[in-house]
Amino acid sequence: MRFPVDIQKEKAAYFFWMSTGDSKADILQGTLDLMVLRTLQTMGPQHGFGLAKRIQQISGGALDLNQGTLYPALLRLEQRGWIRSHWGASDANRRAKFYEITGKGRRQVEKESEDWARTVAIMERFVRLAEQD
Amino acid sequence: MRPIFQRWLALFRAGRLDRELADEIRIHLAMQEEEFRRAGMSPHAARQAARREFGGIAQAMETYRERRGVPWVEGTARDVRYAIRGLRRSPGFAAAAVLSLALGIGANTAVFSLVYTLMLRMLPVARPQELVTMYRTGGWGNGGISSYPMCLALRERKDLFTDVAALGVASKARFQADGRARPEFAELQYVTGNYFSLAGVASALGRVFTDDDNRVPQGHPLVVLSYDFWRNRFGADPAVVGRTLLVNDRPLTVIGVAARGFRGVEVGRPVQLWAPVVMGAEPKWLMSEGMHWLWPLARLAPGVTRQHAQAAVAALWRQHLERHYGNYPNAAFKRKAFEQGLEVRDAASGFSMLREQFGKPLMVLMAAVGLVLLVACTNLANLLLARGAARRKEIALRYSLGATRGRLVRQGLTESLLLAAAGCVAGTAFALWGEGYILKFIPAQSEVDLSTTPSGAVLAFTLAVSVISALLFGLAPALRSTAVDPAAGLQSRGAGTAGRGAGLRKALVVAQVAFSVVLVVLAGLFSHSLAELRAVDLGFQNRNAISCQLDFPRTWKDEDRRGARQRFVAQAETLPGVLSVSYSFPGPFREGGADITLRVPGSEQTSREPANVQIGYASARYFETIGSVPILGRDFDRNDTANSRKVAIINQAFARAFFPDRANPVGRIVSFDDSKPEGGEPTYIVGVVRNITHYGLRRGVRPTIYVPFSQMDPGWPPSILVRAQTPPSFLIPALRRELEKLGSEVVLTEPRTIGQRIDEDIFQDRLLATLSGFFGALALALAAIGLYGVVAYGTARRAGEIGIRIALGARRAGVVWMVLRDALLLVALGLALGLPVSLAAARTVASVLFEVQAADPVAFATTAGVLAGIALAAAFLPARRAASIEPVKVLRQE
Repeated sequence: MRFPVDIQKEKAAYFFWMSTGDSKADILQGTLDLMVLRTLQTMGPQHGFGLAKRIQQISGGALDLNQGTLYPALLRLEQRGWIRSHWGASDANRRAKFYEITGKGRRQVEKESEDWARTVAIMERFVRLAEQD
Repeated sequence: MRPIFQRWLALFRAGRLDRELADEIRIHLAMQEEEFRRAGMSPHAARQAARREFGGIAQAMETYRERRGVPWVEGTARDVRYAIRGLRRSPGFAAAAVLSLALGIGANTAVFSLVYTLMLRMLPVARPQELVTMYRTGGWGNGGISSYPMCLALRERKDLFTDVAALGVASKARFQADGRARPEFAELQYVTGNYFSLAGVASALGRVFTDDDNRVPQGHPLVVLSYDFWRNRFGADPAVVGRTLLVNDRPLTVIGVAARGFRGVEVGRPVQLWAPVVMGAEPKWLMSEGMHWLWPLARLAPGVTRQHAQAAVAALWRQHLERHYGNYPNAAFKRKAFEQGLEVRDAASGFSMLREQFGKPLMVLMAAVGLVLLVACTNLANLLLARGAARRKEIALRYSLGATRGRLVRQGLTESLLLAAAGCVAGTAFALWGEGYILKFIPAQSEVDLSTTPSGAVLAFTLAVSVISALLFGLAPALRSTAVDPAAGLQSRGAGTAGRGAGLRKALVVAQVAFSVVLVVLAGLFSHSLAELRAVDLGFQNRNAISCQLDFPRTWKDEDRRGARQRFVAQAETLPGVLSVSYSFPGPFREGGADITLRVPGSEQTSREPANVQIGYASARYFETIGSVPILGRDFDRNDTANSRKVAIINQAFARAFFPDRANPVGRIVSFDDSKPEGGEPTYIVGVVRNITHYGLRRGVRPTIYVPFSQMDPGWPPSILVRAQTPPSFLIPALRRELEKLGSEVVLTEPRTIGQRIDEDIFQDRLLATLSGFFGALALALAAIGLYGVVAYGTARRAGEIGIRIALGARRAGVVWMVLRDALLLVALGLALGLPVSLAAARTVASVLFEVQAADPVAFATTAGVLAGIALAAAFLPARRAASIEPVKVLRQE
C-alpha cells in the first residue's frame, strides 16, 4: 500500500508517495546522501564542518540542516564505499577528518541523479494536475 | 558484504571509533564557534549558537554508533548490562525469579529427556520409520512379546512385510572369556538370522548372522559382539573372531563384531552379545505356540500402511487363536486366551518392557511440569508488572529524553531473556539431578538404564522452553509498563494511577491460582491413590524379610541345584539372628505368577469344568517366614516330603469360592488331576491362610492354592526368604559368605527386603505422588507470593480510602475482613476456573489411580481448603497492616 506523505513540517519540504514500511528518516537520508556526494564531487575533499556549511550555502539557506545528522550519514556513505576519509590539517592548520568521493561514489551520483530527475518530473505532473482542479 | 564486515569489525574497535567521533564533533563545534565569533558574537553566545546549529550531540553520536556497528549486538550488549545492573539492585527479586524458573525449566527438561529417551528417540538403524512390531495385548500379554512360530508366520506374509525378524528381551547372561575366568555378566539378546540385515547394520569385524546361522535348534553355537563390548572388554582385539566364550556356561564361537554405534533396539539396555534365537530355548519350547518370549521386528513392504497391515495381522491372529485354543477343554483358560490381541505398532523408537508401565506416568508428569512452568511464568509476569509500576517515573523520564517505546520494550524483554537464560543454566543443573531422582524410582530388577546423555533434541527443547517462557512472562509486563504518558508519569506520585495494571495483575493471580488448583488436585489424587495402595492389607507382616535368588551355573543339573539350595537354607538358618529361612515360587512381589487348573470333588464350581486358580510353591515354614501364620490348620513342615501324602494350603478366597458352606476346609480334598469331575489323586488341605497379596498390590487376590516344593517342583528358580533380627546390611554379607561355601560359581542375586519389592511394585504411584506433591507445593508457594503481592499492592493503593473509613468509624476487624475478602474472591475465581479443568485432567489419569475416582471428593475438597488457607495466610499481613493505618498520617499525605 502506498500513501501520500507531507513532510514539510520536517526539515525538508517535499511531497511524496511513501510505501508503508518506509520511514521518514530514510527519505531524508536518501536526499542527504545525494547532497553530500554531489558536494564532495564538485567541491573536492571537505571536513565535516565545511561540508555542512557548503550544503547550507548551496541550498540557499532553504534547508535547515541539523548538522549532527551529517556524521551518521557520512559513516553510512563510507561503509558503502562511496566516500573515504583521512585525518589531515585544515586551512587554519587545525587537525580535521577529511572526506572525499570515490569512483564508486561518482557512479552512484549519476544513478541517483537520474532517479531524482525522474521522480521530480513525475511529481511535477501531479502538482500541475492538482492546480487544474 | 563490505558494510557488514566493517560493522562487525567496528564492534571490536568501538572505543577508538567513539573517541574519533568525539574528536570530530569537537573540532566541528570549535570551527563553527570560531566562525560565529568572527561574525561578532561574544564567546559565550558563539558557543551556544554552535551547539544549537549542531543539534543533539548525544543523539548524533547514538545514531552514529547504531549505524557503525551491528546495532542489534551492541544494543543487546547494552541492554544486558542495563538489565544486570537493574537485577543487582533487587537481588531478592532476581533470586526468586531465577529459582522459580530454574525449577520450572529444570523439571521440564528432566521429564522431557526421559520421555525422549523412552518414547521418542529414533533407532540408529536404516529407515527406522518403516519399522513396526506386532504387540501382543490382553490375556497374559506382557510387554508385547510373541512366540517364535508366530514370528515365523508373520515372516511368510511377504505381501505385508519386506522382512520380519524376531528378538528376545535382553537379559543378563553369565559370561566367561575362558573356562577358568571368574564369571562376569553381559547383556545377551537372542535374535533371528535376518535381524542385522533387516536393521541395516553391517559388521565392523568378521560377519554378522544370516538365516543360515539360525536353522537347527541348538545347532549354531555362535555369538556376535557389540562394538562397545569388543572395545571395552577385549581391547578391540581383532583376534577375538574365532575365539570361544562361555555364555551361560555354553561355549559360543565369536563370528564377528557389529557396526560401531549399534547397541540393539531395546531402549535403555545396550546389548553386548547377540546369539541366534534357536540357541535361546530348549527345542521343545522353541516351536511352542504358548511360549512367548520374542518381539517381532518388521519392515513394512512398500505401499503398505500400518492400518492395512493391522487388518491383515488381526485376521492372521484370529486364525492362530482358533487353531491353538479353539478346542481347549478348559473354558476359563480359553476365554482368557481369546482376550489376546496383536497390534501393529510403530517400532521406530525401539522396544521397551518399561514403556507400558512408565510411559503413562511420564506423560502425566510432562503435563504437570508444563503447568509448573506456567505457574512460575505467571508469577514472574506479576512480579515484573509490580516492578514496572514502581518504575513508571523512570520510564516517563526516559521517554522525555527521547527513548522510543520499541527500545524500552526491548530492554524489558532483554531483562526477561536474561532471567530465562540464568534459569536455563540453573535449570539444566537441576534437571541432571532431577532425572537421577526420577530414575531412582524405577525398580532395579528391570535393569533398564534410562540415564540420558545430553542430546541435541533435549538441548533444543530446553532452549525453546526457556525462550518461550521468557516471552510468556516478559511480553505483557514490558508492553504494559512502557504504556506510560511521559507527562502524567512524571507528575504522578509513584503508584497512584496504575489502575489498568492492577486489573491485569489480578487476572494473572487468578490464572496462577487456577493452574495451581490443577496441580494440587493431581497431587491430591495421586497421594490419595498411594495411601489407598499403602492401606491394602498385605496378608502378611514381615516386610523386613529378605528375598533373594541363587544363580547357578547352567551346566548344573536340577538335582545339584536342589541339593545346593537345601544346604544353603540349612546353613543360613544357623546364622546368628536368623529366625527362619524358606523359599517359594513365585516369590512375594516378584515378576511372575503361576496358574493351575484343578477339581474340587463335591464342589458345584468344578463339576462341569475345572477351575483356574493361582498356585504358589513353598517350602517348609514359608508362612511363618513371611509372617502369616495359618488361621486354620498348619504351615508346611519338614515332614511334607515327596513320599508323604500330598498336602496343600489354601487362602481365604479359595475357601470362600469352593467351600461356601463355611465349614472348616482343613481335611477336605482337591485334585490336580482335572480330567474328570471327581478328580484323581487327592491332595489334602492342611491349612488356610489369609489372602496374601503376592503378585502386586493392584492385582487383588484370587483364589490361591499353595503346595510344598518337595511334592511339586515348578522347575523355575524360587525366591529364598530370610527372616532375621539382624538388619539387612549385616545379613546380606553374611549370606554371601555362606554361599561361598557352596562354591564360587553360585551367585546371590537381587537381595532385597519384601518392603523394598513392594515399593518397586508401586513405583509409578510413588513417583507420581512424590513429584506431583512437590510440584503442587511449589505452585502453592508461588501462588501465595502472587496473592500477597497483589493484595499488599491493593491495600497500599487504598491506604487513603481505608484511612478515611477508619476515621469515619469503620471497625478494624471490618477492615481486616475487607482485605481478606478480596483475596478470597481472587482464590474463589481461580477455583472456579481451575476445578473444572482439574476434573477433566483427573479423568485422563483415572486409569493410573487405585481405588480413587477421578471426581475424588477428598482431593477436591482438600484442594479448595488448602487454597482458601493460602489466601488467608497470604492476605493476613497486608490486612493487619491496613487495619493499623493511622487516619491522621494518611490524610495528611493526601
